[in-house]
Amino acid sequence: MNEIELLRELAQETPLPAPAELDAARARLVAAITTDPAAYAAAAARAAVEQPGPSTGQPTGPLQPAAPKPVLAAAKFMYGGAVTSAAYVIAILPFVGSIHGKVLGYRLTATPLTITVVIVVFGLVPVALWLWMARAVGQGRNWARILSAVLFTLATLQLIEGRGVAQVFCAALTWLSGLAAVWLLWRPASSAFFKSARAARSRPPSQISGP
Amino acid sequence: MKRRRGSAADDAAVIESSWLEPERFAVLFDRHAPHIHRYLARRAGRQVADDLVAETFLTAFAKRDRYDLGYSDARPWLYGIATNLVGQHRRDEVRQYRIMQGAVAEPEVPDHADRVAAGVTAQATRALLDAALAELSAGDRDVLLLIAWEQLTYQEVSRALAIPAGTVRSRLHRARTKVRQVLAGTGAAATYEELTTNE
Repeated sequence: MNEIELLRELAQETPLPAPAELDAARARLVAAITTDPAAYAAAAARAAVEQPGPSTGQPTGPLQPAAPKPVLAAAKFMYGGAVTSAAYVIAILPFVGSIHGKVLGYRLTATPLTITVVIVVFGLVPVALWLWMARAVGQGRNWARILSAVLFTLATLQLIEGRGVAQVFCAALTWLSGLAAVWLLWRPASSAFFKSARAARSRPPSQISGP
Repeated sequence: MKRRRGSAADDAAVIESSWLEPERFAVLFDRHAPHIHRYLARRAGRQVADDLVAETFLTAFAKRDRYDLGYSDARPWLYGIATNLVGQHRRDEVRQYRIMQGAVAEPEVPDHADRVAAGVTAQATRALLDAALAELSAGDRDVLLLIAWEQLTYQEVSRALAIPAGTVRSRLHRARTKVRQVLAGTGAAATYEELTTNE
């Protein structure tokens, strides 16, 4: 008998715990499960299915699965991306006065006020996109995570083009937010959520049934 | 080594379903908690084990979205979490080995004289083993006990402890050598084997 076998044999003398000994641990796990955000959403969805709408007598809507933690975290990073994109616009404004001469090969004749308005308007587009994406991924829209990956690529280009410390800092923050969001959106748990959400949307109301 | 059995009831399927239906995770508890508890009780004592088994599954639940679904068997993952938690109770663990040196559970031997002899030998062997385990480094002990007690493979231990398989082998070799050295001087293992196999 070698030492491994000896250890194994002596270990067999320790009995498995009685079920009652695990009750406290199981209760702690169940408590954690019931307070999990996904459990709340699942319960709410079930309640919506079980209670028909007052006017139609039909379920109130499709059984929308709860967004898992990576998707919720990705949405938060996207909101962060929106904030840093806005900060980027603000950071670029002091440089409006220095924009003169030729831009992209064209002679610039616009006044500083016009340039400011253009920068603000075009600067708000990525902010709006980030907010839109954050909302859409939270709803399980698969196209939103694909578009998010595209936006991340654009943010990478913005990082390369940045001028000045403040701009580069804002662009770097935006890029990092995008990187985190895109990475989280392609985690297996996120993919399961998007797949499940798409299946729920494509299911006709008559096929929706409670668990 | 990754493998999928394809069964709807395998651990990976349970964890995957728990991403959107968290209550499904309780299935994993019911399936593995008794063995995880016994492992923890051996290492840190029953009282500490009660708390650690809860912590193990709470940690696993919190990290379930990071589980690699390529592995159908979640035991190495759970043992890895449990082992990390034991690491935070090293003093409890070493104290447990000291306590176990004094605890005896005599093997059932018909003859009284043999029973006494077997009991004494079992006690001596266990005391020596516990002393040897207490002397091992934490990493060597983790590997040895996961293989000896929980019968995990090298690959499973590698996955549980997030170390290369080569490191598992070298740690196991080192741990076995130390334990063998302790037992070799006394002949306790041979005597124990002889008495228990002659039952």
